[in-house]
Amino acid sequence: MNGLSIQPSGRLFPSIWKLIRLRLLLNWNAFKHARTRRKVVTIVLVILALAFTGFIFFLSWLLLGFLRSAKLTQYVGFDVAPFLQSVPVLVFALIFLGILFSSFGVLLQALYLSGDMDFLLTSPVPIRAVFVTKLLQAVLPSFGLAALFGLPVLYGLGLSGHYNFLYYPLVLLTMVALTLAAAGISALLVMLVARLVPPRRVAEVLGFLTATLSILCSQSGNLYNTLGRNVTISGSQVNGAFALLMRFNTPWNPLDWAGAGLVALGEGRWLPGFGLVALTLGLAALAFSFALATSERWYYSGWAGMQVVTYKKKSTRPARVKTATAQPESGAVSLAGAQMRRLLPAPILAVIQKDFLLMRRDIRNMSQPVTPLIFGIFYTVMFLRPGNAMFPDSPDMPGIFSTISHLIASYGNIGMSLFVGWMLLSRLAGMAFSAEGRNYWMLKASPLRPAQLLTAKFLVAYLPTLALGVVFMVTVSILQKASMAMFLYGLLATSLCQAGMTGILLAFGVGGANFNWTDPRRMNAGAIGCLGQALAGLFLPIAFGFFVGPLLLVGIFNWPQVYGYLAGALAGVAVSATGALLPPWLVQKRVERLNED
Amino acid sequence: MANSATLIEMQALVKRYGDKVAVNNVSLEVQAGEVFGFLGPNGAGKTTTIKMIVGLLQPTSGTVRVAGYDVQTQPLLAKAVSGYVPDTPNLYAKLTGRELLRFVGDLYSLDRQRLAQRTEELLRVLDLNEAADQTIDSYSHGMQQKASLAAALMHDPKVLVLDEPTVGLDPKSARLIKDILRQMAERGTAVFLSTHILEIAERMCDRIGIIDKGELVAVGTMQELR
Repeated sequence: MNGLSIQPSGRLFPSIWKLIRLRLLLNWNAFKHARTRRKVVTIVLVILALAFTGFIFFLSWLLLGFLRSAKLTQYVGFDVAPFLQSVPVLVFALIFLGILFSSFGVLLQALYLSGDMDFLLTSPVPIRAVFVTKLLQAVLPSFGLAALFGLPVLYGLGLSGHYNFLYYPLVLLTMVALTLAAAGISALLVMLVARLVPPRRVAEVLGFLTATLSILCSQSGNLYNTLGRNVTISGSQVNGAFALLMRFNTPWNPLDWAGAGLVALGEGRWLPGFGLVALTLGLAALAFSFALATSERWYYSGWAGMQVVTYKKKSTRPARVKTATAQPESGAVSLAGAQMRRLLPAPILAVIQKDFLLMRRDIRNMSQPVTPLIFGIFYTVMFLRPGNAMFPDSPDMPGIFSTISHLIASYGNIGMSLFVGWMLLSRLAGMAFSAEGRNYWMLKASPLRPAQLLTAKFLVAYLPTLALGVVFMVTVSILQKASMAMFLYGLLATSLCQAGMTGILLAFGVGGANFNWTDPRRMNAGAIGCLGQALAGLFLPIAFGFFVGPLLLVGIFNWPQVYGYLAGALAGVAVSATGALLPPWLVQKRVERLNED
Repeated sequence: MANSATLIEMQALVKRYGDKVAVNNVSLEVQAGEVFGFLGPNGAGKTTTIKMIVGLLQPTSGTVRVAGYDVQTQPLLAKAVSGYVPDTPNLYAKLTGRELLRFVGDLYSLDRQRLAQRTEELLRVLDLNEAADQTIDSYSHGMQQKASLAAALMHDPKVLVLDEPTVGLDPKSARLIKDILRQMAERGTAVFLSTHILEIAERMCDRIGIIDKGELVAVGTMQELR
């Protein structure tokens, strides 16, 4: 018998500490070996976060002090003290629910997709220690955010109300306890879902939903402005808002106990204070322990299930034989396919088909095209809203302003369509090469000319953008009752400006191509890609100006409009074609040497 | 060996990364019908050399010719006759095995009938038929390795280059790959494979080149090297 005599440590806390120390070491190494610029940015961000915390603290101190003032009570017509008592209730409830939902995705990644679980589960470390470390690792960012916003508000409340000193440490303790309880329950939810659906699929759907919801939330302000009317806040409305907030403060809701208990403690009502805080801490500890104990059992079956799901033969039906001879294409499809094959060489078509398939199958990719769609809808509604004219018609208005105003009203939809196209192209063209990731070797090792690859990538980015632009133009033109000439001219301008942008973004995407990523959401084209976005954004008004400028001139000088259309089309086509063709042509040599660093 | 035409020819091949010399003055030839083993410890320069043969890396100096085509000046012609299996099978995870082969066939401009026939043939030979319509992210490592080999064989290359082809494979799959490589060689293909395990080189290869610290230290048959 040989080998070292290993005595595995079954003690929980030393094992947790070992794993946390490993995580700290990894983070420290990442910081230590980062570029100087990144280090400086990290340090500046930490300082800014601390300054922000201090700012929130003073702001809430002042604000909550103001809320206690007699003037406000007189204005709103009732005592705001009950509302102030419900602030901690609201903050703790938000923290609990926020961490419960936000931890789901992080825990899914940490528990099933991080790749280190196999190593950890086979190490002589108690599984409970692994879970505790994973939970801490997952909730730390959310807890940091909660503390950044929540702690200053709660401490400001305490100071403005002259609360008892016990209030302050217990606020922190309760926050930690609720965070761990929420994370524990979230972990259970993750494991439950992972038993039913493959974790990778869950991550894809979650990524798509999160991105879409984020954009929707970020645009909710615009939606409110678009749909809302002039709003004035009356005393009774403030009163109503306070009453609504206070409705959350009920003794029957366990989420309210922490906040209510802490306020009672702060105000020196010891019995209800200690009772409610102890009850909250006890429940949180119970939830956390239950989650840990159950996780141990659920995780193994979910993890084993994941291995089976990953490798099992999914289809029980006989495999379809997709051969050209055995499964002839239907008439129309066959004709279209044959036409495409005549137009484009097989390698270009292969790359296009492959890219569209991958785009559709990995739902995480879909969140990026959805963003411009949401923007497009919001801004179109805003643009078409009555009363949005830059210069409302007036008999005294000089001719040039009237012409500009009519041009903006008529061709603003093109500008909007181009802006949406720019957003979509920033992803599709700007990251066309980065999107290949670690699979790029397949293209590079094949006899594919750089020009063919650039053409394929150009079409993959351009065609969906063009389709979106056409749909957008048709919809807006119908709503605006635009003339056929204006619609067709708009379509020409949109399609060509988009082609120009595609060329620029594609070329800069080649320059900044980054093939080293695993999650599509982390894919980027670096600083060069950002420069490309900026230049394409600059190109947009210039190319559009070449299309619309001659129309403006013929309007000012009262020349026949057809001259404006002809001159605009010629100038616009020249500029757009330069943008579409020149940059990709310039980077052909670079494509040959991509991914050799 | 089927015939003696030189299909891989390296002359004074050098690759530098800054100050570090990854491959230093490597010259060798591989004939048609030969299975050539490139043996060396980890970090010796095997993968770098292989990447220069298949056109994934540009040499700092020296030349590589594949089937008579210079990989630097005639890259498309050289790539059209070579197939490559990397050490890590990074394949498009969301394509099915069948779609991957069809995609590769199109990249090499195979006609529709030949493409369909070759796809079915390779799926059957490599025992991937049942998984052919599943996406590659559901494949085991061994299946991905076999899919990668199938992709490299789609256009029936004259030169087949494999980087550690048997790593992570079960004995049955390793045996299957060995048999396929031998059949390819008997049909006149030059097979160039890297490994760091002497037994694999001994079992599979006609000749062996030993590389260490970027330099080719010995070339010959197993008997000659002994």
